[in-house]
Amino acid sequence: MQTLLRRIKQVPLRPYTRVYSVASTRSIPSRSKTLSVIDQLEQDGARILRTVQTRVEERDDLVASSLDDISSPEDITRAKRVKELEPLKMAWDEWQTNRQLLRETIPLLNDLDPTMRALASDEYTSLIASLSHSLSRTFPSLLVPPSPTIHMSALLELKSGVGGSEASLFLGDLLRVYLRYAQVMKWKAEIVEKNESDGGGVRDAIVEVKGVGAYDGLKWESGVHRVQRVPATESKGRVHTSTITAVVLPLAEEDAPEDELFSMDDVRVEVMRARGAGGQHVNKTESAVRLTHRPSGITVSMQDERSQHQNRRRAFQILRARLMDRKLTQDLANRRAERRDLVQTADRSAKIRTYNYVQERVTDHRLGLSLMNLTTVMEEDGLHEFIDAMQRNHDESVMEEIIQDS
Amino acid sequence: MPRQHHVAQLFLALTKSIGRQSANQELNWMKRATHAGCLKEMLERRVEGEPLQYILGTQPFGPLDLLTRAPILIPRPETEHWAIRLAELLQPTIERPLSVLDLCTGSGCIPLLLCHLWARGSTRAYGVDISDHAVQLAKDNAARCGIPGVASPHHFSNVYTPYLANVLDATFGDSLPRSFDVITSNPPYILLNEYHQLPRSVKDYEDPRALLGDPPDIPGTDGLAFYHAIARLVARDGVLNEGDQTMVVLEVGDKQAAAVEAILKTEGRLNRTEIWLDPWGKERVVVGRRK
Repeated sequence: MQTLLRRIKQVPLRPYTRVYSVASTRSIPSRSKTLSVIDQLEQDGARILRTVQTRVEERDDLVASSLDDISSPEDITRAKRVKELEPLKMAWDEWQTNRQLLRETIPLLNDLDPTMRALASDEYTSLIASLSHSLSRTFPSLLVPPSPTIHMSALLELKSGVGGSEASLFLGDLLRVYLRYAQVMKWKAEIVEKNESDGGGVRDAIVEVKGVGAYDGLKWESGVHRVQRVPATESKGRVHTSTITAVVLPLAEEDAPEDELFSMDDVRVEVMRARGAGGQHVNKTESAVRLTHRPSGITVSMQDERSQHQNRRRAFQILRARLMDRKLTQDLANRRAERRDLVQTADRSAKIRTYNYVQERVTDHRLGLSLMNLTTVMEEDGLHEFIDAMQRNHDESVMEEIIQDS
Repeated sequence: MPRQHHVAQLFLALTKSIGRQSANQELNWMKRATHAGCLKEMLERRVEGEPLQYILGTQPFGPLDLLTRAPILIPRPETEHWAIRLAELLQPTIERPLSVLDLCTGSGCIPLLLCHLWARGSTRAYGVDISDHAVQLAKDNAARCGIPGVASPHHFSNVYTPYLANVLDATFGDSLPRSFDVITSNPPYILLNEYHQLPRSVKDYEDPRALLGDPPDIPGTDGLAFYHAIARLVARDGVLNEGDQTMVVLEVGDKQAAAVEAILKTEGRLNRTEIWLDPWGKERVVVGRRK
């Protein structure tokens, strides 16, 4: 975690992220210094602590005003809120206890008895660690609301961009990276559609990734991925630059009510190609299907499956995912307009990452994060370092927003 | 690599016969169906004109994956479409079950889809075919779909029993095992003059008894012999139940819907009829109800 953070270059440090560095201040300082360490800790975490305190006070007020007999809907809402705030209250109590213990420990650091000094020193170190953990991990994780999309599976669409057959080759490589990542995360990945190119690469592919957190994890991969390498097909050893585009869409439960997203009356279902007399006269497979959602103008064509029924099912699945994606983007925009949301949305035409084979380097342009781990990203589980860093970056933005609001 | 070269040649021949896009897709499906044999052999058979469905040995039908075996008629997308529509239209339950008779059942696709989609213990289906190969395939498909052929007292399940009989036989109606709520059929409906124009993959591989609307020993050139026979059958007392869900659902060939509608009204005593379109906009199904 911290080593990674140190490797992050050009990341604008947010106020409370500075807390991370506190934990490494573990040498035994003089008495006056030790007091200032507590002050420093509280000063750095001032805003987060104020937020937590406000919430805990809110809870205490609710508890004080609630009756034993829960009857009205307001009582139920209140009880629910109290229950929600319970973990934060516990974390706050722990913080207070540790803070008090630390204050009591500090005088003992200069005790005459060397055994006592040694014990106090150990205790001092572990208390500082606990306090900074509360500030940097426990409080943020309790303040950041759980993701509303945590249960959503993902639909990952990969399309090759500039670079011709080399882009297709790289798309095939990246497809393997995602399939392996899904496996590591214990998600179920299934290739829905895959068009191979003549040179042995993959022109485009759609992968369905099922499992809790699949969308939340993979959504950071939306955008343009650039590769710089000497293609296998290049005889003169020149470095080529090619791109592929990834689009990650949210997949709601299959039996989720569709009417929230669209009405069947708004969807035109067309079959592709003429079929002459049809029926018994023809036994050629004609399974391609195209959907048009009139209000949004979204069209989905699906032809990879052998039956119309299957292609139809797939096409509706993709339509649902695209509409859900629009809804989430819209929700985010509304929230941003409402309360100056700092969370950035992914611009799908933006270049998000570069894979430089010559330098063995992978750079995430959104984070300004460069890791010399290309081989682990492409052949092992290096991808998670980027996804985790994106997730952390996101959580920090949300935290900041929450603190500003309170 | 002479073998590779040969595969490429075969693929080229396939693109010439069915078009580049279709050929690409079929190649993908052949590559995926590794159980069906080696790619070169599959391509050879396909270039000869054999239907892809016989080569791969299966065809998806709604949520089912059915076996296909020459020369039994391959399930068509038009049939899949209306069978799903019928399954959604009627929703039998264990308290309000339905009995189904599927005439010219072939692979068994229609009643098996109904048995699969309808609630457990709600459906008792029978299928009739003139070909013992078809009856065997229907039985194999039922086993593949987990639909038993006889009702078991131990667990509730939908049941489908295919048996050998000739729908055109004058005595066919005498041998029915019971009366029915729903009669379905995709009977042969192709005219003799059209039959000679059919693509090789249909004409040379699929059973003419599943295609020709006018069997050789029956007079007629309009391809409607089976519809007359079915109408006469449903007009008999005791064949159709009296009930608000009772209906006869028949697939028809291009431009035959109006004629079949008339036959059902006059000969079948089914006063209320409607026509369903297929996904390509053709009048594909005639539905008849008594009231």
